[in-house]
Amino acid sequence: MTRSAPTRRQLLFTAGSLLGSGLLGVRPTHAQGIPVAMQLSWLHSVQFGGSYIALRNGYWAEQGLDVTLLPGGPNAPVAPPLVAGQALLGRGAADYDAAAVAQGAPFRIIGVAMQKNPFCIASLPANPVHEPRDLLGKRLGMALINRPVLDALCALNGIDATAIEIVPTQYDAAPLLQGQADCLLCWATDLPVAMAVQGVDSVVMLMADHGYEIHAQTYIATEDSLAQRRDEIVKLLRGEARGWQDYRKDPAAAAALTVEMFPDLGLDPEAQRIQAERQLPLMFTDVTDAHGFGWFTDESVEANIRTLALLGQEVGPDLWDRSVLEEVHGN
Amino acid sequence: MTGQALVPLRPGPWLQGAGVLGLLLAWEGASQASQSHFVLAGPSQILERLRLDGGLLLRALLATLRAGALGFALGVAVGLGLALTAVLAPRVERPLTTISLLLFCLPLVATGPVLRVILGPGIGPQVALAALAVVHTTFTTVLVGLRAAPASWFDLVRSYGRTRWAELWQVRLPASVPYLLAALQIAAPAALLGAMVGEFTGAERGLGVLTIQAIRSLDVVGAWTIATVAAASAMAVHGGLGVLGRRLDIIPPPVLLAPPPDPPVRSPAARGLALLGLMGFVLLLWQGLMDALALSPFFAKRPADVWAYLVAGSDAAVHRQTLLVALGETASHALPGALAGLASGAGLAALLVLAPPFAAAVLPLSLALRSIPVVVTAPLIVLGLGRGPAGTIAVVAAMVFFPTLVACLSGLRHASRPILDILDSYDAGRIRRLAIAQLPAMLPALCASARMSIPAAILATTTAEWLATGRGLGSHMAMTAMTSDYAALWSSIVLIGLAALAAHAGIAALERALLARFAPEQLAP
Repeated sequence: MTRSAPTRRQLLFTAGSLLGSGLLGVRPTHAQGIPVAMQLSWLHSVQFGGSYIALRNGYWAEQGLDVTLLPGGPNAPVAPPLVAGQALLGRGAADYDAAAVAQGAPFRIIGVAMQKNPFCIASLPANPVHEPRDLLGKRLGMALINRPVLDALCALNGIDATAIEIVPTQYDAAPLLQGQADCLLCWATDLPVAMAVQGVDSVVMLMADHGYEIHAQTYIATEDSLAQRRDEIVKLLRGEARGWQDYRKDPAAAAALTVEMFPDLGLDPEAQRIQAERQLPLMFTDVTDAHGFGWFTDESVEANIRTLALLGQEVGPDLWDRSVLEEVHGN
Repeated sequence: MTGQALVPLRPGPWLQGAGVLGLLLAWEGASQASQSHFVLAGPSQILERLRLDGGLLLRALLATLRAGALGFALGVAVGLGLALTAVLAPRVERPLTTISLLLFCLPLVATGPVLRVILGPGIGPQVALAALAVVHTTFTTVLVGLRAAPASWFDLVRSYGRTRWAELWQVRLPASVPYLLAALQIAAPAALLGAMVGEFTGAERGLGVLTIQAIRSLDVVGAWTIATVAAASAMAVHGGLGVLGRRLDIIPPPVLLAPPPDPPVRSPAARGLALLGLMGFVLLLWQGLMDALALSPFFAKRPADVWAYLVAGSDAAVHRQTLLVALGETASHALPGALAGLASGAGLAALLVLAPPFAAAVLPLSLALRSIPVVVTAPLIVLGLGRGPAGTIAVVAAMVFFPTLVACLSGLRHASRPILDILDSYDAGRIRRLAIAQLPAMLPALCASARMSIPAAILATTTAEWLATGRGLGSHMAMTAMTSDYAALWSSIVLIGLAALAAHAGIAALERALLARFAPEQLAP
């Protein structure tokens, strides 16, 4: 099953799997080929719709890969399974990736699923935030973890961050609806969708439209994997790109597939459908039209480096590696 | 005459029924009144959701119960093994107690990702966290039971020249059965909590997964329905074990007290040396475990990494400052919460003794409510009380309140019979009986509750900070995990462990002083 001689950890790993009898990862029923795992950044949802299409349509199986999609969660950081070699590819974000690299993880960003960062300021129509200036004097509900994100947005737009009252919350929309906050710092593809499903309209100001350029939903791999298992990584990303092309043609079908594949997650079909729609403009842009899914330009890397510097992270362009994408898209 | 002294164990069913009905009506009324605030869902909405989503909830419940049951069995087995070891080799009892306390205080947010890597995909982390959640309570409770036989029985065994093993088989184990049953009752909800939090490390089904989905998607009715299902199943297991005990004629143990700490007989130097030795052993265990599993130093930090982060490194002072501020914030919620829980638990127990029929109605309800896992209550209480300190303090207080109430009521029942008889013969009022005879009898129970409240308060505070308020060390640890700052994460764990041990030692010292003054018989060897 594994290529190297089993270590004690792998034996434990196997024991753990036996104990669990059923693997939690998703596998096609006709599984055979080289076992490869991709660590997702959150619980299964249409956020990873393209991967499910690739799995269901056999885009990996026909290349000889037996792919497992490992779900994430609130207590499931992406970096450890990658460093430990349990996952070949992970779904990260440029800021988290840069932080992991600063802590000694040898990661490279080899693809970018979300060209535009999904962070936004969500507010209610009665008291809206249309542009960064509108934030002044407002109560902004956000997880304190995201403080650097707000500071970067303020710096990019020349706003005094101290004029914004921060209401510490965790990640849910209730504080906005309960009136404890005037607006929320969140992803455009989740809390506003949850509010829409509850019949609450919201105003969404995408931070990417105001200079906040951070690649989101990146594909990351360790330098070691890139050197030793490059072929599998190329095949993995190729299948992924095909899956997402299908997704783009019919996001509603991707939402339906997600709900069908994970009946035990309690996913709301309507919420999945809206989310599938709303992430389209973030993932497919002129850049992907010209070069293919997951592409990133040198200019966007430069912009990321500038934004990361505002977040207090010094990185160079060697955090990114486009060679796999070049192979995938054949140029 | 005796009717007043003892709280009847079987309450009037009508009183209990009326109490439950009243609660349900108040709940429904409150939910109707707060319809548009996304806070509270009432019983009628929950019933409707159960009807609509019954299949989904049942599958989730079964998935969580499966992992919880495996962890429960594993954790109880380890706890039992530790207790037996401590009885057979009394010298290792203190180190074992310390290590099991430290394991119990490991924050869920920190252990989850490491367990996920060690155990791989599957239900490994769920099982392991469920097991970790029950080892300590099983160990301490069964240990009391193994010692609960009267001294004369041991004399008898010894007078026949039998061995320690015979003593174990013929006296200790039979004596410990009621305590084992009580330990299982305490363990059941804890295992459920562990399994739910384990799902946060990445799972495809289970009540924990559904909880995340419900909170994220503003599904208030969903959150309350899941909470109800989790609480009901924990209460069912709790109650089922009680029924089993009655079927088997197992009499519930008199008081579930950990034995009072040993009086300090050794010189301070000897005690310091023992402490140092224990610390060294814990550090070796830590280093050895990480090395044996060949865990990457990127996320599995060793003692030297923490030392560098907190003491030797160039930014150590800044790091210490950051972590201590976060720890201080956490303590500022945990401490008042624990004190409020202890005070209200003991206070209500005392009040209830003045009104026995009420105690009869409240006790079974408290036993049941005790079994609701904190991961379920934390978001709900914070939803209601807001994200300020009040919410977190209330979560901690609720977590400490129920076990304290149960323990204190039990302690009050064991007031000295002769003293009560004397007071009765002088026709003393209820207040005087309480002050002179019953409160001193409650003191050991209160002290034991205080000791047991340490891990409970840490668990509740860090969980609430992580899941709801975004403040303090709990939130800081979640952030360090996300940004791969694992040296900070492990340093936080070490600080929490040290704080827990310090609190434990402090309460034990206070306990010795109090008991020496008010209940000297408890300190007799």
